[in-house]
Amino acid sequence: MPRPKPNKLHDELDALLDGRPVELTDELAPLAEAADALRAELAAYQLDPQVADRHLERVLHGSATVVPLPVRGQPSGWDLRRRVAAVVLAAALVLAPATMASAAALPGQAMYPFKRAIEQLRIASVQWSPGREAVERTRVADTRVDEVQRLTDLEMFTQLPTALTAMTNAMTAARAAVDEARRKGEPVAKVEAQLNGVMVAGAQVTRTVQVVTAAAAAKGPAPLSGDILRAIQTAVDQSKEVLPPVAPPTTGATTPTSTIEQPAKAPGSTVGTTKTSPTIPLPPPTAEATTTTTEPPTTTTPTTTTTPPTSDDEATPGSNGGGGSGGDDNKGPNDRSPLEVTPSTTPPGP
Amino acid sequence: VLGFGGEREAVSKAGLTAADLVAARRREPAAVTRVYTAYAPALFRFFMAAVGDRHQAEDLTGTTFVSAIESLPRFRGPIEALGGWLFQIARHDLYDHRRRQSRSRIEPLEDNLNEAARVAGADDPEELALDRVDAGRVVAAMRQLSDDQRQVLLLRMAGGLSAPEVAEVLGKTTGAVKALQHRGLASLARVLGLRSPEQPKEPPYPSPDPGRLTSQEEEER
Repeated sequence: MPRPKPNKLHDELDALLDGRPVELTDELAPLAEAADALRAELAAYQLDPQVADRHLERVLHGSATVVPLPVRGQPSGWDLRRRVAAVVLAAALVLAPATMASAAALPGQAMYPFKRAIEQLRIASVQWSPGREAVERTRVADTRVDEVQRLTDLEMFTQLPTALTAMTNAMTAARAAVDEARRKGEPVAKVEAQLNGVMVAGAQVTRTVQVVTAAAAAKGPAPLSGDILRAIQTAVDQSKEVLPPVAPPTTGATTPTSTIEQPAKAPGSTVGTTKTSPTIPLPPPTAEATTTTTEPPTTTTPTTTTTPPTSDDEATPGSNGGGGSGGDDNKGPNDRSPLEVTPSTTPPGP
Repeated sequence: VLGFGGEREAVSKAGLTAADLVAARRREPAAVTRVYTAYAPALFRFFMAAVGDRHQAEDLTGTTFVSAIESLPRFRGPIEALGGWLFQIARHDLYDHRRRQSRSRIEPLEDNLNEAARVAGADDPEELALDRVDAGRVVAAMRQLSDDQRQVLLLRMAGGLSAPEVAEVLGKTTGAVKALQHRGLASLARVLGLRSPEQPKEPPYPSPDPGRLTSQEEEER
């Protein structure tokens, strides 16, 4: 059998790397395998969402900087807390207008970095008290739930993976803060009940995300790419490790607010199992060395890679994690008001 | 990320449109965020594989993005060409970064790095950096490739550019890029111990041993 001309082999390899259908010959197989191995390693390099926020701040709000917080567990002391409090007070004076303006900001919108920065300031200001920190972090978690809800309402699917992971991390951070407050002997019954309610709300909104994205995916590839779907599914799966199980919604219950407005229950009181929840229909996985085609390199590069991997600062209470209500809500987690849902086709304002 | 001559001319594979480009030129936050979301992960992977240090790669990603947004009013190409243009800036920033590093490198450390590179079999400390990438053996194995092969593979695989886009970035022909990616992947397969088409496992006949031939010739004599 004559060996193909080099140009033909080059073209076939190029097509293979682009994901176009090519017969995987003996000559191409090891090359495809090497490409898959390289692609898999490169895919492990994930941009930290906090870093992404900083990059966007540099472009959009050159003067807005995130105040670094002391890491809990390290010797901080009163001196450091006083310094942080002083910074917080000074920053609060500067950022007060931004606080109001950014209250309703969503991920991807102009004021969102401000919102996160203000959340950090708020957490910093209460770190002298584990109990108050637990309250603040619970409020942050509530805000993250609210953001996921609104992003789902607006069908801003590209922002959902990051928002879902941020929500999960905020839940984890709030739970850790409550646990720590309990260890310090502070009364936590009230905040713990609030957090339980937030977590149930988070589980419900996650379920809503699944339903809405599945419905959008069923319409066709236009609104949702396979990579975004995969990233959403991954974020949903991660959230299930933290959030309580939630009963599957009734048929046609795709209105997100219908679930979130229900009275919050304690995690143990919920019924149903996530096993029955539909998973988002996903396209085939990105790389399979044994198949005759290889996914194009673009499949590992899209927007989904900004999905926070493992290290969101909110995962550890007292770290630099952003979080907080951003002044947008004085309501407690359990008295969540119905969402002011704009029509789903309305793009968010800047 | 982007392909030339696609059916949907005004929409990139990353989901960006010509309208996004226009809005990003005006620094409209939503459009700038969309551009960042579309390309920052690829830029970060490119820099990670190139410098092997997360902190530096993050800084380079931010620097490149800021430069790109500031220069965007001067970008007159179609949206499909945005990816290649961004990676041209990225390569320039990477070059500057390495030049700054080489200037600021104090002598004893440079000696140590050179020595470490020599011991590790790398030609220079930059190649050695590839060995120290967190992720492991495949990216580290790329130091065995030529510089051209490595650049092509990084832009193609980490940057997600098409072969014509890589050719545009590197100032080469598309054919040359395809040949380089073929040779690069063949070399990578060999280094990784994968079966290579250019080096069959079992040679069809015993390899000639010059020493043995010499002794055979002497015996024949």
